[in-house]
Amino acid sequence: MSSPVLELDGVTAGYGRAPVLVDLSLRLAAGELTAVVGPNGAGKTTLVRLALGLLRPQRGTVRLFGTDVTRFRDWSRVGYVPQRAETSSTLPMSVDEVVRSGLAGQLRGLRRLTSHHRERVEHVLDVMDLQAVRRQRVTTLSGGQQQRALIARALVTSPGLLFLDEPTTGIDASAKVALREALEHLVGVEGISVVYISHDPEGAAGLAARTLEVRDGVVREVRPSALSGL
Amino acid sequence: MLELGFMQRALVAVTVIAAVAPLVGAFVVQRRQSLIGDGMGHMAFAGVGLALLTGVEPVLGALALTVVAALALARMSGRQGGDLPLALLFYGGIAAGFLLTARAGGGQTAVLGLLFGSPFNLSWRQVGVVVVLAGLVVLVVAAVYRQLVAMAFDEPSARVAGIPTSGLSLALTVLVALVVVAGMSTVGLLLISALLVVPVAAAAQLAGSYRATLAIASATGAVSALVGLSASYYADLAPGAAVVVTAIGLYALAGLAAGVRGRLAVRP
Repeated sequence: MSSPVLELDGVTAGYGRAPVLVDLSLRLAAGELTAVVGPNGAGKTTLVRLALGLLRPQRGTVRLFGTDVTRFRDWSRVGYVPQRAETSSTLPMSVDEVVRSGLAGQLRGLRRLTSHHRERVEHVLDVMDLQAVRRQRVTTLSGGQQQRALIARALVTSPGLLFLDEPTTGIDASAKVALREALEHLVGVEGISVVYISHDPEGAAGLAARTLEVRDGVVREVRPSALSGL
Repeated sequence: MLELGFMQRALVAVTVIAAVAPLVGAFVVQRRQSLIGDGMGHMAFAGVGLALLTGVEPVLGALALTVVAALALARMSGRQGGDLPLALLFYGGIAAGFLLTARAGGGQTAVLGLLFGSPFNLSWRQVGVVVVLAGLVVLVVAAVYRQLVAMAFDEPSARVAGIPTSGLSLALTVLVALVVVAGMSTVGLLLISALLVVPVAAAAQLAGSYRATLAIASATGAVSALVGLSASYYADLAPGAAVVVTAIGLYALAGLAAGVRGRLAVRP
């Protein structure tokens, strides 16, 4: 296995006294798509929150690119696409603005976009097939296009590791195909490590190098064909 | 009208604050905190009461108490969600404000002036304070614009991207406090929160992007000030209320225009 992008060693974590995940250890390799599946409430989102430093483990350590997550500062190397329901826009935001907002962590104060940033924005709009709708309000797009806009935003900083939380929720079959093609490109051509979280074990079938099932606080590696009843 | 000194001062102060308030209001509305300006306004009222009682400059009293309220609100909101912290500020502010103002011997006219504004009584020095506060707000918004947009759209992702969202939320609340204090002597404490929100609501019906929303909202605020104050002068209306009613009228017009545009767009 190449050097891991994410490592969890003996991690126990949760909210309050009852742990959601117990004594979890895992390593995710660079350039792979890892599917994390399991029923709702099993602890998938807790796993993501741990990896992103949004939740501190009660026990154990979490490392991103070899650095303890509590000391990790290079967040441009990590992309996060939350469930669409967590993002909202009461006011109009164009697709272009949503994508550019991904650069806010890098552009402090009155610093302007460099040519490198502009090229990167164009690139992710191309990869996510959003050029034609870049001036439109993001809320007027289909569910699949909105999802691709959020992924484009996460990709604009050229991350090495991308987390997708329930990316296929509320999108139709053709949008799922388009998403799948985009993920194939990201992993196969751009070499990005993807963590694909879903309650649907079929979502990443054929794409995932590994599939991890979260159930009753325990994570185990499974073959997709062995998954049932989620 | 324009040759009159009191009108010149009113037009400058109210137009400046009405153009700047929506720049902060856009982020407040996006975060579903449209009533935060009202809460701050009530605390500023208490601050003025405290200032009158202690002999301090009213603007300083209002500024001090609203900034303290902003810090308290950020802390309380972190511990308990919902709108309870804001409600506590709201009721605590109005009660303390009335109590302190009455104790300091502030008459009903003074209280009404604070609550509903008295722009025709401004001195150039007071206009200067409004312009400086508004300028400070514009500078801070420009400096953290990208981070505010990212946080307003999706706070968890902004946090993952390394944006200090807690500090930024606090800064936004302090910006609201600055706008409220600047608006205190112009349209009044009860109506300044309307200028944070109504022009933004009007602009959102017409704009296609966040940047355009800010530009249209700022222009809507400025037009509301100019039209409202002119109407107030010629028709002898209460100036602060006339400005806000004009903004509401522009909101209705924007809704009408958006409806017409929608119908034309679906017509083959």
